[in-house]
Amino acid sequence: MSEVLNQNQLKSEEPRALPRIGSKAPQFEAVTTHGTIRLEDYKGSWLVLFSHPADFTPVCTTEFVAFQSIYPKLREMNTELLGLSIDSVYSHIAWVRTIEEKLGVKIEFPIIADLDKEVATKYGMLMPEESKTEAVRAVFVIDDKQTVRAIIYYPMTAGRNMDEIVRLIQALQTSDEKGVATPANWRPGDKVIVPPPATQEMAEERVKDNGVECIDWFLCKKDI
Amino acid sequence: MACIDDKGNLTPTARSILTTIRSEAKTIEEIAGEAGQPLFKVRSSLRDMKSMGFVKEVADNQFIMEEKVSKLLNK
Repeated sequence: MSEVLNQNQLKSEEPRALPRIGSKAPQFEAVTTHGTIRLEDYKGSWLVLFSHPADFTPVCTTEFVAFQSIYPKLREMNTELLGLSIDSVYSHIAWVRTIEEKLGVKIEFPIIADLDKEVATKYGMLMPEESKTEAVRAVFVIDDKQTVRAIIYYPMTAGRNMDEIVRLIQALQTSDEKGVATPANWRPGDKVIVPPPATQEMAEERVKDNGVECIDWFLCKKDI
Repeated sequence: MACIDDKGNLTPTARSILTTIRSEAKTIEEIAGEAGQPLFKVRSSLRDMKSMGFVKEVADNQFIMEEKVSKLLNK
């Protein structure tokens, strides 16, 4: 009997497969501080779905203030924010009210109350070695067609960098619009990378192209 | 996305959405643009208001307010 129990326990603790970059984002319906929301409600917009360990904790509080500070910029980029933690909606409401009262910042984006861990489990936001009861700091960038485009994980102790989240979305949207890639530390206005030639003939043409700046046939940049 | 508050009044979000589809059916995108609300909020509010009989879907992705809600909107 105890062997069966142990096997069942082991089974329930097996980590689920994470959504992968390029895969469709797992659908959900969740209770949030803005009412019941489904992932499909975000079709047509980009979405940053992020988890935090718990309400009323110091690092998370600084992160929420920082997420709110980039929210207007994200909205200009047709991008929404959706937070998540394994807390009740009443805890979320109390926490955002406290943030407004003590720090003067009104949190305008919804937060999922994932008490049954359904969304956190679907998105691989739980890492039992780090915590059995709290989500780690995960960020899922989901595009307007509901495809997962980028995933970032941070541990409990390190707050996230908002500039990098904005930069990442700018890079992804630029890649989509212009059919290019972006180099390390790219910022809007910098040169972008032209996709490398796929054939020898195209490589020969590329190095003769005056419209691009090439270090070699496979590494060419251009202005957009 | 609760559309009615504890006093029986429409919430500001519900009011802004219903105002845009008071007399004419519109798409979710049109409603979002006119009401100044994000798409996700319009979709979840319309789902809520459809289940309460406040709006109806007249064609694919086109919604109009039910006449009986006028009283609430004018309140």
